[in-house]
Amino acid sequence: MSGSGEKPVLIVDGKRLDGRLPGDIRPSRIEANVLKNAAGSAYIEWGNNKIMAAVYGPSEALPKHTSNPERAVIKCRYQMAPFSSLEEHGRSGPNRRSIEISKVIKEVFENAIITENFPGSEINIYVEVLQGDGGTRAAGVTAAAVAVAASGIPMTDLPYGVSIGKIGDQIVIDLNKIEDNYSDADVPIVISPRTGRILLLQMDGDMTKDEINRGIRMAADAGKMISKMQSDALKKQYMEISEKYKNEAPSYTPQAQK
Amino acid sequence: MQRIVVPGEKLEDKPLRIDEAFTEDGKTYSTIMSVYDEERKVLTPLEGMWYPRMGDQVVGVVAEDKLSVYFIDLNSPYKGLIFAKDCNDDLMAGDIIEASVKELDKTKTAILTRPRKLFGGKILYVNPAKIPRILGKGNTMIRQLTQLTQSSITVGLNGLVWIKGGKVDLATEAIVTIQQEAHTAGLTNRIKALLETGK
Repeated sequence: MSGSGEKPVLIVDGKRLDGRLPGDIRPSRIEANVLKNAAGSAYIEWGNNKIMAAVYGPSEALPKHTSNPERAVIKCRYQMAPFSSLEEHGRSGPNRRSIEISKVIKEVFENAIITENFPGSEINIYVEVLQGDGGTRAAGVTAAAVAVAASGIPMTDLPYGVSIGKIGDQIVIDLNKIEDNYSDADVPIVISPRTGRILLLQMDGDMTKDEINRGIRMAADAGKMISKMQSDALKKQYMEISEKYKNEAPSYTPQAQK
Repeated sequence: MQRIVVPGEKLEDKPLRIDEAFTEDGKTYSTIMSVYDEERKVLTPLEGMWYPRMGDQVVGVVAEDKLSVYFIDLNSPYKGLIFAKDCNDDLMAGDIIEASVKELDKTKTAILTRPRKLFGGKILYVNPAKIPRILGKGNTMIRQLTQLTQSSITVGLNGLVWIKGGKVDLATEAIVTIQQEAHTAGLTNRIKALLETGK
């Protein structure tokens, strides 16, 4: 949407510039628990996006006045590394854009984490964009959800993010940087797959109600794949060890001590 | 049958009261990464944290030494507190203690009782979700560990393990292995073999 000059042709013969169909997402992979010091962490490669997410806590909320005696407070920092992008928002330090995205990511997790379990504490979520190519907040939320789950913080769901957009009359999902700049609309959304609730929706550009609904349906279809990728990333490390010893004599599973 | 589940994953099509799970619209879902035993209807956490509960045995590090109270770091969002009058030893910041949770106050601070100072030794930070496995069913695993390493081992439910004397390195290796392989079958036998070959 922020592109200037002559608009490039973004869809040729029904295919997008990188060969994807309108409902396709870019190839992506997630790895869980990549950082030793964090309670939970994840690394995601989503097309050309490379994003690291880390979760610390719950710990005592400091400064004290930020704490809530009824639930945990969630603090989030989304930041693009200075080298992550060619555009001005790649500069270091908090800026208008990163403060906004930190706020919306925080609100996503306030609706996913069971914060009532930890009154008076804080949970810190960090999302660092190492390389950005459009759709970083959606990919950031997807990675952060894996990081929160890997930390053992109880959640009601594993939310995922994906962007929907409009190029001419065509509704597409998962826009990359060029599509983002020259499309008619870009709408990042975050969905809670268990209930289908939408936890984040921001719109840049114009889309009709019908177009938004069509986009959300396309995103939910692609979301099944993203959800599977998230859960596979979380299970992978345990599955590998289980596979190694699967033929051994079974033993008991301990119950949590009460 | 056992399966690994992630937050939000459906456990049962009916509402059941299971620890670390919640029910919605007549169905039961997991809230954390865990192993679900479909026959016994038990959720065993793979990741997790400890929050104070009355009666829990804990190992902590003295964080602050005030005039009449000691604040204890319990590897948890909530602090522990010992009244100096309940304490026979003179504690200083950095000391390691073993105690049990007597009660919780309004802010979830754990009021500890019967503190025992632990001298020397080594502290291991373990994932609190794996502590039940380190103790074993009926404390079998920890008994095997102390017998075969001749170490003195104190396990806090908050994820701190204190080891002193005997084969400390071997005991540490065994505990780290238990932590990594807690969800696998035949672990007790493997740990026994590890401890016996490491003699």
